[in-house]
Amino acid sequence: MASVTLANLTKEYGDLTAVDGLDLDIDDGELLCLLGPSGCGKSTTLRMLGGLETPTSGEVHIGDERVTDQPPYDRNTSMVFQSWALFPQKTVLENVAFGLKMDGVDEEERVERAREVLEIVEMGEFADADPGDLSGGQKQRVALARSLAIEPDVLLLDEPLSNLDKRLREQMQLELRNIHDGVETTFVHVTHDQNEAFTLADSIAIMNDGEIEQVGEPREIYDDPVSLFVEEFLGDTNLVDATVEETVEEGIVATTEFDEQIQVPTPNDGVAAGDPLTISFRPEEFDVSRVATDGGQLTESAAHGDVTTALEGTITDVLYRGSSVRFYIEIGGTSVFFEQSVGDETDLEVGDPVVVSWDPEDLLVFSEGERLGRGGT
Amino acid sequence: MDALADESMFAWVGERIKRQDSASVFLLAPLAAFELVFFVVPFLILVRMSFNTQPETGFYESGWTLAAYGEILASNLYHQIILFSFKLGVIATVVAVLLGLFYAYAAYRAEGLTKSILLFSVILPLLTTLVVKTYAWRPLLAPNGVLNDLLLSLGLVDGRIQFAPSLFGTVVGQVYIVFPYAVLAIYSVLSTLDWDVVEAARDLGASRPRSFFEVVLPEVLPGVAVATVVSFAWSVGAYAAPSQLGTGEQTTFAMEIGNLMLTNFNWPVGAAFALLMLAAMLAATLAVIRLLTGSVGGVQDV
Repeated sequence: MASVTLANLTKEYGDLTAVDGLDLDIDDGELLCLLGPSGCGKSTTLRMLGGLETPTSGEVHIGDERVTDQPPYDRNTSMVFQSWALFPQKTVLENVAFGLKMDGVDEEERVERAREVLEIVEMGEFADADPGDLSGGQKQRVALARSLAIEPDVLLLDEPLSNLDKRLREQMQLELRNIHDGVETTFVHVTHDQNEAFTLADSIAIMNDGEIEQVGEPREIYDDPVSLFVEEFLGDTNLVDATVEETVEEGIVATTEFDEQIQVPTPNDGVAAGDPLTISFRPEEFDVSRVATDGGQLTESAAHGDVTTALEGTITDVLYRGSSVRFYIEIGGTSVFFEQSVGDETDLEVGDPVVVSWDPEDLLVFSEGERLGRGGT
Repeated sequence: MDALADESMFAWVGERIKRQDSASVFLLAPLAAFELVFFVVPFLILVRMSFNTQPETGFYESGWTLAAYGEILASNLYHQIILFSFKLGVIATVVAVLLGLFYAYAAYRAEGLTKSILLFSVILPLLTTLVVKTYAWRPLLAPNGVLNDLLLSLGLVDGRIQFAPSLFGTVVGQVYIVFPYAVLAIYSVLSTLDWDVVEAARDLGASRPRSFFEVVLPEVLPGVAVATVVSFAWSVGAYAAPSQLGTGEQTTFAMEIGNLMLTNFNWPVGAAFALLMLAAMLAATLAVIRLLTGSVGGVQDV
C-alpha cells in the first residue's frame, strides 16, 4: 500500500515525445484508470512507474520514496502484462511462487502463500497445470495471482483484459473491482476502453498525446469534461459546429450547422462574434416527438421564451443495436442521433417528421478544443 | 476448381501416402536411390572392408578376420588419438556453445541495423570454404604472424608466442568453424522468446543474471541442445582445423583414418577405425541429448 506521485515525468524516444511533463497524484489504495487512445503514452507511463522504462526527466515517488532510478527488481511494484507473460517452462504454482522465491521466502511458505493467492483468483485446482494449456481468462487470473503474491505496494495493470472476449472481460472487470476491495492495494490500470474505466475506477485520468487532459471521479468527468477531446473520448455524442453571432448577458447566441440560431447559457469570456465553436448535444438529452399532423405541437415546443430549444427534422435511419435502437435525424442538412432502449422505443419510422428539443443547460460548448468556462486549466 | 474439389484432391494424396501405394513410393524413389548409392552401399563396402586381411603390399587382401579391430583396440597410439579427438570435441563445444549463447542473446536484444550486422556477420563465414577460412588463421596466429606483431608492438609480450600450430590454434580454428551453427541453433529458439516474460521476471524481483537463468535459459535449452550436438559431433571428427592449425600432437581420428587410407594404404584398419568411431560418436551424441533433454523434463523448482 502506497500513494504514488509522478512529477513532470517525460519520456522521449529520439525525436518522439511519448510522455510530456506529466503530473499525477494517486492516493493510497485507490484504483486509478489511465484512459486514452493507443499511442497516447499511457503504457509508457505505467512502465516508468514499474521501472521497466527510465524517464528522460521528471520524478517517480512511491510512498515517501523516490524510485525514479530504481530498477524494476528493487521496487515493490508488480505489473500484469497485456500478453500476461507467464513463464512457459514453469507450472502455474511455480509462476505464482516466483516473486516470493526471488524475495528469498523459503519453499514451504511460498508454496502455501501461492496456493492462497490462487484460491483468491479461483485457480486453485490448476496449480500443477502448464500455463500453455490454460484459456485466456485463466492465464489472466494466473498473471494477476503472480503479481498479487508478492503483495506489491502498487499493482500495475497494462490492458490485461483487452485480449479477452466481451463477456469474460465484463466479468473480470467486476472481479478485479472485488479483488481490489479485498486487498487494499493501490491499482493503476491502463485501458483504452472507457466502459472498462467507468466500471472499475475510483478515479480516471484521461491522457492525450503524452499529457493528462483531466483527472477525476468517473461521474465528475462525465458531467463536467474540460475539453472536446475528453467529451469525444467518453462516448458517442452529437458534435455540431457553430459560429458565435453575439455574446449576451446569459451566454452566447450562435449560428449552428442546423442553419438556425440558438442561445446557450455558458460563460462567454474570451469569445467574440465570428469565433468557431463546437457544441455537444448528448443523445440522452434530446427529447424527440413526432410532429402532430395539425402542427400544433411544434408551436408549443418552440415557444420557450426567445431562446430556440427545439428544431424540426426528419428521421433518416433506424438502427437496431442489440439492447438499444438508434435513430438518426436530419435537421437542416446535419445528421444527429439519439437512442432508446429496446422495449421503450417509440414507433418512429424513416421519413417521419419530428421535433427535437433540449434543455439549453445541458449543452456543452467548446472553443478551440477547450470547454468554455473550464478551458485553460 | 472449387474449394470442395481442392479438398478432395488433398484427401486423395493423403490416402495414397497412408496406403503407401505405388504413387507415394514413386515420390520417394529419387531420395531412396540417392541414399542407397551414396550412403548405404559405401557403408556396406566399409563394413566388408573392415573384416579383410591387412596387406603386405597393396590396399587389402580379401578375407574374414577381426584383426583390424584388434589392432586398434590394442594400440596405445590409437587410444591417444581417440582421447584427443574427444578432448577437442568437448573443449570446442563448450567454448562454441558459451560464446554462441552470448552472441545469440546479443543479436536477440539488438535492434535495427545492429541486429542485421550481428546476424549477417555470423552467416558471412559460411559463404567461404572451410579450408580457406581455416587456413586464414595461420598468418594471424603464427609466431611471425599478425597477432604476435600486434602484441610485441604494444609491449604486452617479451618474445614471440607460437599460437599456431598448437592446441590453442586448433581450438580457435574448430570453434570458428562450428560457431555460426551454434549461434543459429540458439538464436532460432531464442527469437521466439517473448521479452515481456523477462521483464515480468525482473518486475517480480529477479536481478538481470537471475532472470537469465530462471527464464531465458530454460526456454533456449532445446536450441542449446542442438548447438551442442552439432558442435560436438563435428569437433570430435575434426579434420581441417587440427591438420592446418595443430602439431603432430593434435592428431584426430579423422586425420589418422585419412593417413591409413591415403598414405599407409591400410584399408582394413582404416575402415575398422571409422566404424568404431561411428559407434562411439553415436553413443556419445545420444548421451549428450539424453543429458540435455533429461534436465529439461526433470526441472521441478518451485
